Amino acid sequence: MFTRVKSAVVSFMGGIMAGSSGLEHVNGSDLPVRFSYTRPEFLGLSPDEIECSADHIARPILILKETQRLPWSTGYAEVINAGKSTHNEDQASCEVVFVKKKSGVQSTPNKNSSSKRRSSLPNAEGLQLKDNQEVDGITFHYWALFDGHAGAGAAVVASKLLHHHIAEQIPDIIDILKNSAVLPPTCLGEEPESTSSNSRTLTRAASLRGGSGAPGSPSTPPTRFFTEKKIPHECLVIGALENAFKEMDLRIERERSTYSISGGCTALIVVYLLGKLYVANAGDSRAIIIRNGEIIPMSSEFTPETERQRLQYLAFLQPHLLGNEFTHLEFPRRVQRKEVGKMMLYRDFNMTGWAYKTIEENDLKFPLIYGEGKKARVMATIGVTRGLGDHDLKVHDSNIYIKPFLSSVPEVRVYDLVQHEHSADDVLVLATDGLWDVLFNEEVLEAVTSFLANCDPDDPHRYTLAAQDLVMRARGVLKDRGWRISNDRLGSGDDISVYVIPLEHGNRVS
Amino acid sequence: MAYAYLFKYIIIGDTGVGKSCLLLQFTDKRFQPVHDLTIGVEFGARMITIDGKQIKLQIWDTAGQESFRSITRSYYRGAAGALLVYDITRRDTFNHLTTWLEDARQHSNSNMVIMLIANKSDLESRREVKKEEGEAFAREHGLIFMETSAKTASNVEEAFINTAKEIYEKIQEGVFDINNEANGIKIGPQHSTPGSPGSHLGGQQAGGGCC
Ligand SMILES: Nc1nc2c(ncn2[C@@H]2O[C@H](COP(=O)(O)OP(=O)(O)OP(=O)(O)O)[C@@H](O)[C@H]2O)c(=O)[nH]1
Ligand SMILES: [Mg+2]
Repeated sequence: MFTRVKSAVVSFMGGIMAGSSGLEHVNGSDLPVRFSYTRPEFLGLSPDEIECSADHIARPILILKETQRLPWSTGYAEVINAGKSTHNEDQASCEVVFVKKKSGVQSTPNKNSSSKRRSSLPNAEGLQLKDNQEVDGITFHYWALFDGHAGAGAAVVASKLLHHHIAEQIPDIIDILKNSAVLPPTCLGEEPESTSSNSRTLTRAASLRGGSGAPGSPSTPPTRFFTEKKIPHECLVIGALENAFKEMDLRIERERSTYSISGGCTALIVVYLLGKLYVANAGDSRAIIIRNGEIIPMSSEFTPETERQRLQYLAFLQPHLLGNEFTHLEFPRRVQRKEVGKMMLYRDFNMTGWAYKTIEENDLKFPLIYGEGKKARVMATIGVTRGLGDHDLKVHDSNIYIKPFLSSVPEVRVYDLVQHEHSADDVLVLATDGLWDVLFNEEVLEAVTSFLANCDPDDPHRYTLAAQDLVMRARGVLKDRGWRISNDRLGSGDDISVYVIPLEHGNRVS
Repeated sequence: MAYAYLFKYIIIGDTGVGKSCLLLQFTDKRFQPVHDLTIGVEFGARMITIDGKQIKLQIWDTAGQESFRSITRSYYRGAAGALLVYDITRRDTFNHLTTWLEDARQHSNSNMVIMLIANKSDLESRREVKKEEGEAFAREHGLIFMETSAKTASNVEEAFINTAKEIYEKIQEGVFDINNEANGIKIGPQHSTPGSPGSHLGGQQAGGGCC
C-alpha cells in the first residue's frame, strides 16, 4: 500500500507534520498510541525478532513456526517492504472466537497461545475464558489481513479489535442461525414460520380485508397482508459482518480523541461459521480459492477505478466535498486552458462509455479520479477506496477531507464449504496487494498447486511453506537493478502478507 | 537496550551441522538434542562487550536444506559476519564448504568477516574430518577457524565474540563504511550525530511508519 497515499503523506509532512518526528502523531497531537507497533501475535516474535524482521536490505520472510497456533493447519508468511516505510504496515490476526448467547463474548485461542492471548485481550471487560459450551453459544473461525497506509496505527487497531466487533453482532442471532430449519423471523418475538410454509403469500382478498383496516381481536395471530421477502440465514451473517466493519470504523473515529491512531487500512477477512466461509473485503487485498486446479475468485478490489461511478455520483450530489478544487467528471487526460470551447471526450457518473462535451471553465479543475491502474488516485491522494480509518486524511495543502469518499462497507462473498469435497491441495489464498501486484491469479494457482504436489502431505508446515514460496516469488531477489522475480520482472517492493488456508479441514470439523 | 554498535551475523552451512544449536547455546545457554529443521530464517540477539563497548549481535540462523537454498542466499546481504559451519562427523558437510563459500562471497559484501566452524567437537569418536583439514581450508580461504561443540558449549562464546572482534578491528582500521547499513553494522543511538536524529540509521528508533 505504501505508494498509494504518497501525496497524503507529503501533505502531512508539509502541513500538520512540519517539524515533527514521526507519523504516529499525524493527528498533530501528543496522544498515546492505541496499540504500539507489532507483528501478528501468532508469529510469537520477541522484540529482537521484530527488530530483525524490519530489515529492508535482506527482507527476511517471516513464517509461522508453531503450526498449531492457527486453526486448520493454516499457513502464513510475510515480508516487509523494500524501504518505503520503516514498519511493515500490513497486519494480520487469526482467532477462534466463541460467542456466548446474549451475555458477553469470549475468545478461545488455540491451545498454546491461550495465556498470551488472554493477557493481551484489549478490553477484558466481560471477556472471560471458559471451555467451549456450544449449547450456550457459537464458535467462529476468523482470519484477517489489514494493509495500512500513512502509518501503521489503524491497521494495528483493526487487527486487535475487529473480531470483537464481529462477535458483538452475533449474540442476538445465535438461536436463529442454529435453527436452520426455520427461516429467520422478520420481526423478533413473533411466531417463526417453518421454511416449508407458504402461508406468507396471502390472497388478494385477505390483503384487501386487511387493507381496509378492520382490526382483529387481540387473540388472533398477527395477519400479514403483503408478500414478504424470505431472508436466508447467511444474509444475517453478511449483515453482521457489514455492521462489524462499520462499528470498527466508528470506533477508530471515536478513539481519535483519546489516542493517536495513524492512517487507515484495508481489511480482508474470512469467517467460518456453521459450514460456510464468508469472505469480507474492503480494499485491494484479494482472496481466491484454489480447488481441483481451478480458481474461484472470492473478492474484488475497491479502487478509484472500480468505484469510479460511486465516487463521481457522491461528488455530483455533494459538490462541496470537492472544495472547489476538483471536478467529478472524468476526462482521458488533464484538460488544458486553451481547449475551453472545444469538444472533448468525458464520462459522468452514469456512464461506462464515453461521449463528447464542450469544455467549460469548470472542467479545468483537477479530476476527482485521476491516473490509471495502480496509479489511480481519489483527489490525487489515495489509491484505495474502501477500508477503515483515514478520518484525518486530507488533500495535500488543503482542508478537503478524503474520508467522505471512502467506504468501510465490505463486499461479502459466501462459499459453502461443506457442500464441496476438498483434497489436501485445495486452499483459500488471502494476500495483500503486495502479492497480487506482481503475480497473476494463474501464477499463484500454478505456484501453489505445484508446491503442494511436491510437498509431503503429512508435513505440518506444508501450507506455511507454500505461503513462504508465494512471498518469495513476489518479493524476488535483489539484483543490481532492484528486486527481481521470474522473467526479470520487477518484484514487489511493498509489504507482502499471505495466508494459505487448507479447505479439507473445514470438511473435517463439520 | 543501548549499544555502541549492532553487528548483523548470518549462520550458514549444510542441514544438521548444528547452526540452530550454536545460536541457542550462545543466546540461551541451552542445548537442543532433537533436530528442529529450520524452514526459513530464525533470529537471535545478544549483547557482548568488546573494548569496553556494548555491542549487540543480531544473528540470522538460516535453513541448510537444499530446497531453501535460494531463500537462504537472499539473506547474505547486509551481514557483517558469517559463521560457516560444518560437522566434523560428516565429511560431506566439509566437502560442501566451497559451494557455501562461493555463495557467500557472491551474495555478501566483500568485507564480511567469515568464521569457519567445525562443530560437534564433543563427538571425537565419530570424527571424520581432522582439525588440521579445517585449519588448512581456513588458511587457504582467509577465514578464521574454530572447533566448537554446541552441546558442551566449548568455544561457542569464543566463536561469536572473536568474529565480533575481527569486525570491530576492521571498523577501527576504517575498512567498513559504517554509514552504509548494507555492511551489516549500525551505530547505536548514543553515537548518532546531534541534530540529525535517526539520520542514516533509519532503523527502529525512528517514530512511526511513513510512506
Ligand atoms: N553431539 C552434538 N550434537 C550436536 C551439536 N550441535 C548440534 N547437534 C545436533 O545436531 C542436530 C542438528 O542440529 P541443528 O542445530 O538443528 O542443525 P542445523 O544446522 O540448524 O540444521 P538446519 O536447520 O536443517 O539447517 C541436532 O540433533 C542437534 O542436537 C554438537 O555440538 N554436538
Ligand atoms: Mg537450523
